[in-house]
Amino acid sequence: MPSNEEVFGKVQEALVDALGVEDDEVTPEATLVGDLGAESIDFLDIVFKLEKAFNITIPREELFPDDILATTTYIQDGKLNAEGLAKLKERMPFADLTKFESDPRVQDFGNLLTVQDLVNYVCTKVA
Amino acid sequence: MRWFWIDRFTEFVSGKHAKAVKAVSLAEEAVDEYAPGATYLPASLLIEGTAQCGGLLVAQLSDFRNRTVLAKVGNVTFHQQAYPGSVVAFDVQITSVQPNGAFVSAQLTCNDKPLAELDLMFAFLTDDRFDDVTLFEPAALLRMCRLMRMFEVGKYEDGTPLKIPQYMLDAEKAELSV
Amino acid sequence: MRLAQIDRILSLEKGEAITAVKGLALSEEYLKDHFPRFPVMPGVLMLESMFQAAMYLLRASDDFAHSMVVLKEARNFKFNGFVQPGDQLVVTAKIQSVKDGVYKIKTEGQIAGKPAVSGIMFLEQFNLADRGTGAAATDDHMISEFKKNYQRLFDQINNPVSTAVDG
Repeated sequence: MPSNEEVFGKVQEALVDALGVEDDEVTPEATLVGDLGAESIDFLDIVFKLEKAFNITIPREELFPDDILATTTYIQDGKLNAEGLAKLKERMPFADLTKFESDPRVQDFGNLLTVQDLVNYVCTKVA
Repeated sequence: MRWFWIDRFTEFVSGKHAKAVKAVSLAEEAVDEYAPGATYLPASLLIEGTAQCGGLLVAQLSDFRNRTVLAKVGNVTFHQQAYPGSVVAFDVQITSVQPNGAFVSAQLTCNDKPLAELDLMFAFLTDDRFDDVTLFEPAALLRMCRLMRMFEVGKYEDGTPLKIPQYMLDAEKAELSV
Repeated sequence: MRLAQIDRILSLEKGEAITAVKGLALSEEYLKDHFPRFPVMPGVLMLESMFQAAMYLLRASDDFAHSMVVLKEARNFKFNGFVQPGDQLVVTAKIQSVKDGVYKIKTEGQIAGKPAVSGIMFLEQFNLADRGTGAAATDDHMISEFKKNYQRLFDQINNPVSTAVDG
C-alpha cells in the first residue's frame, strides 16, 4: 500500500503531464481549475493518467458529480440545498467540502477540487 | 487538397489496433515547396494521419455514431522527416475508451525506420452545444472507410470479419435511388 | 509553400517572441472533408500555424543561418475551440529555452481574444550540407525562399519591407 508521499508524487506527475504545469505549481492546496488551469478537456486526460499510474478504475461521477449538480430537487437558487450537500458528501468523502458548504453555488463547484483531494481519493482507491 | 492523411488500412482489429500506410509524393500540395529544394511531408500531417487512423478505430466502436474529434496531442516525438518517395507506416493502438473520449498510442515508421511516436486523445462531442452538429453523412463516411479498405482488412478480435453498421448500408442504398 | 498557415506576421522580437495571424476561409478546399457537414480548421493545422510562427521566429532570430527548421517534439497541445470559416486565429510563440541546439517554445492560439489552443514544441535548426544529407546549394536556395516568404508576411502597408527585414 503506497504511502501518502508516493501517491502525491505520482498524482503530481500525472497533473504536470496532463496540464503542462511545473512541478512546483502542483501543491496540495492548489485547485485544479483555478490554480492549475484545468479545463473540461483536461479532466478526461487526468482520469486516464491516474488510472494508468495506479492501476485503478475511476468512475467519472466519483470525481465529477455532474449528476448531483444537475438534479433539480437538490438545487435552490443556484445553490445546493441540505439534501444535495448530504448526497455530495456521501459521494465525495475524500474531499474537503467546508469551503463549498459556506456558499454552495453549483457553478463554483468546478473550482473546488484541490490536488490534496485527488491524493485522498486515490488513497481510498488503492487501499 | 483532399483531407486524407492515410492512404489505406492494412490491418484493423476492432477495439484493439489498426495499421495503415501513406505514400509521400512530390505531387502532394502539402509537400510542394514546404521546404523548397529538399521538401518533405509536414510533421503536423503525420499527426493527422495518426489521428485519422486512430479516430476511425475509436469511432468504429460506436458504429461511427460518436462524433469523434482530436482533443489533445499529448506527446509526440519525431526522429526524422518523411521525404517524397517514402512510405509511412502507422501502427495505432487503443489504450483507453471512456464515455467522453478515448486515448491511442502510435508508432510510425518510414521505410521501416523509426519516424515518430505519438499519444493522442479524442473527445466525443457530447456537449449540448453540439447537439445540431453532424460531422459526416453516414453514406459519405462509409464511402471514405471503403476508400481506405477498412472492411477489406477489418475484423473483430475473434477473427470474424468487421460488419458494416446497417444504418450506413441503408443510407448508402437510399442515395442510389435518387 | 502551399501549406502556408500564416497569413501575416504582426510583431517579432528577435530571440524572444512572435505574433502572427491565420484566417480561415470557406474557400479552403480541404474543408469539404473536414468535416463535410461542419467545416472547421483541423487541430493539426492550428498546430502547424503555431509551428510556422515559431519557425519564422527562429529563422529571423539567427538571421536565416539555417535552411531546415524541424519539429522534434510537441507536448500537451489541447484544442479548446473550433476555428470556423471567417474566424482568425492569432498565434504567438515565445522561446523558453535552448539546449543542445533544440529550442523549447511555448505557443498559443486565440480566437477573438479567447484561448483556443496551446502547447509546447521543440524545434531544431540545421543545414543539410552540415549533416551530409544535401548540397550547400540546396541550403542556400531554401534560405533564400524563406527570406522572401518572411518579407511577404509582414504588413506591407504599415511595415514596408525595408524595415520589416532589418540587416
